[in-house]
Amino acid sequence: MEYWDGMKAIAPELWLTGFALLALLVDLLTKGRNSRTVGYVTLAGLGVTALALMGQSERVTAFGMVEVDAFGRFFKLFTLAALAVVCVFVMSDRRERQHGIGEYYFLLLGAAVGIFFMVSTNNLLLLVLGLELLSLASYSLAGFHKGNKASAEAALKYVIFGGLSAGVMIFGISLLYGLTGTIDLAEMATLGGEGLPRGLVSQLAASPIPVGIAVTMVLAGFAYKISAVPFHFWTPDVYQGAPTPVTTFLAVASKAAGFGALLRFLGVMFVRGDVQGLVADYGGQVGLLIAVLAAITMTVGNVSALGQSSLKRLLAFSSVAHAGYLLMGVATMNNEGFSAALYYMAAYYFMNLGAFGVVLYFEGVNGNDHIDSLKGLGRKAPLVSIVMVAFLVSLTGLPPTMGYYGKFLLFTAAIDNGMTWLAVIAGLNSAISLFYYFRIAKALFLEEPSDESVPRTQPIFTGMLTAFGVCTVLFGLYVSPIMQWVVSSMDLLG
Amino acid sequence: MGLEAYVVVATILFGLGIACLITRRNVIYVLMGIEMILNSANINFVAFNRFNGDGMDGRMFAIFVIILAAAEAAVALGIVLNVFQLFGTVKPSDVDLLRE
Repeated sequence: MEYWDGMKAIAPELWLTGFALLALLVDLLTKGRNSRTVGYVTLAGLGVTALALMGQSERVTAFGMVEVDAFGRFFKLFTLAALAVVCVFVMSDRRERQHGIGEYYFLLLGAAVGIFFMVSTNNLLLLVLGLELLSLASYSLAGFHKGNKASAEAALKYVIFGGLSAGVMIFGISLLYGLTGTIDLAEMATLGGEGLPRGLVSQLAASPIPVGIAVTMVLAGFAYKISAVPFHFWTPDVYQGAPTPVTTFLAVASKAAGFGALLRFLGVMFVRGDVQGLVADYGGQVGLLIAVLAAITMTVGNVSALGQSSLKRLLAFSSVAHAGYLLMGVATMNNEGFSAALYYMAAYYFMNLGAFGVVLYFEGVNGNDHIDSLKGLGRKAPLVSIVMVAFLVSLTGLPPTMGYYGKFLLFTAAIDNGMTWLAVIAGLNSAISLFYYFRIAKALFLEEPSDESVPRTQPIFTGMLTAFGVCTVLFGLYVSPIMQWVVSSMDLLG
Repeated sequence: MGLEAYVVVATILFGLGIACLITRRNVIYVLMGIEMILNSANINFVAFNRFNGDGMDGRMFAIFVIILAAAEAAVALGIVLNVFQLFGTVKPSDVDLLRE
């Protein structure tokens, strides 16, 4: 009966796969004429999967590969929530609503299956498969508007950079396998000893350089997924060229998945209590490497964002900068920093989904995402504009928002772990980010409108964005619900 | 022949793949470079499995990487075909609308 126990443990993934196929089938049966139905099927699938996830409570390992635990559940629920919003974006986007886009939903669900596996495995093979499943779906989604030049170019750049970093990562894994004789992270970290051929510890005792090369190469694959320097070059072009709902998906769900897998990789390999001493010491040096990457990433992201005039491009560089802030929590290599990163991820969910939602709204109004076309919209669409200011305040990291508390946690974690220099750089970066975020607010409220036309109202969309704005502020003032969820999700290192 | 020989070949192939990616201006060559990188990893997996692994992990990994490479090539060529229809070229440096 072990087989059925395993199947029960991966029930959410099975539901998701089933609904992905159902979405394709429904699209086929309606001959692509009624893509809204497919959207509803997708939303139902996400709901059923969420219920299946919440029904799981015990910690098991299925098929010796899939770790079912609260840490994975955090990222899975995060993905489902982000996908639900992306689906609503697709369904209510005026420019997106045409027939024959059933595959859109299929690809989104397929990407979700990839994310589910990559955030919940210690097995490097399953990690690579999940990551590639997510990547392949993302490439197709980025190029979804087949006649659109920008979309085609975005997909081309995404696939080239994705292929390169996946290749480097797989080569790094092959070296790790050669060094340790296993592709299971937990075995790598715990097995072996002086004189024994297997395990990281004996390799580190011999020479740390090969392990360093292998681990750096594997980190390259993660750096690409979370768009950290020096693997961020694709980010602005792909974010700008891809359809806006897809950009939202890449910025929120795909990036969170990258962080989930990265945290598990580092946590299981270097931080967990049963890791051998020498390996844990080595983890400290890997943390230092990540701290340097974090500092460079946030600086490059913020400085590049300053001169941007396309909103999507600006938010792309902002998302690079946020990867830097999140890496600050990762670099501490302990429970405090990882929890801070998880909380910031939740904050990132609300503020970035909200910000991209507002971009989508304004794109519907203006037909482009140029920052100058926002002039005076504060008077024409007051509610959405005020909500946008709340997101911008949160993205900058000012009180009273989730972004503020998240940054507070990350800064504290960095300072507590002797990385005061990193916290200082992050503080300076937050000050730089104020300039470009408030250019948007200035265009909305302090400049005269260029014409007198009044945008059509979109009640469902406006309502959803307002809810996000309220959540961004509310959970910033009243942090305990999210904080409790984060604390109970950090069973990775236990 | 020892393990070293395989690792040296794999490393050279990896280097050639990276060089191909960086220097070639045609997308098709870039995709070939990616294939070379993936196959250099495959050589590593199989060689390490043969010489110091006791399970089938490395061989399984190599088989899955072959499948991945095929899937990725299919998606990438689809994208390249679309780009070619729209831009009339397959050189990434000429496909350059998105910039400030």
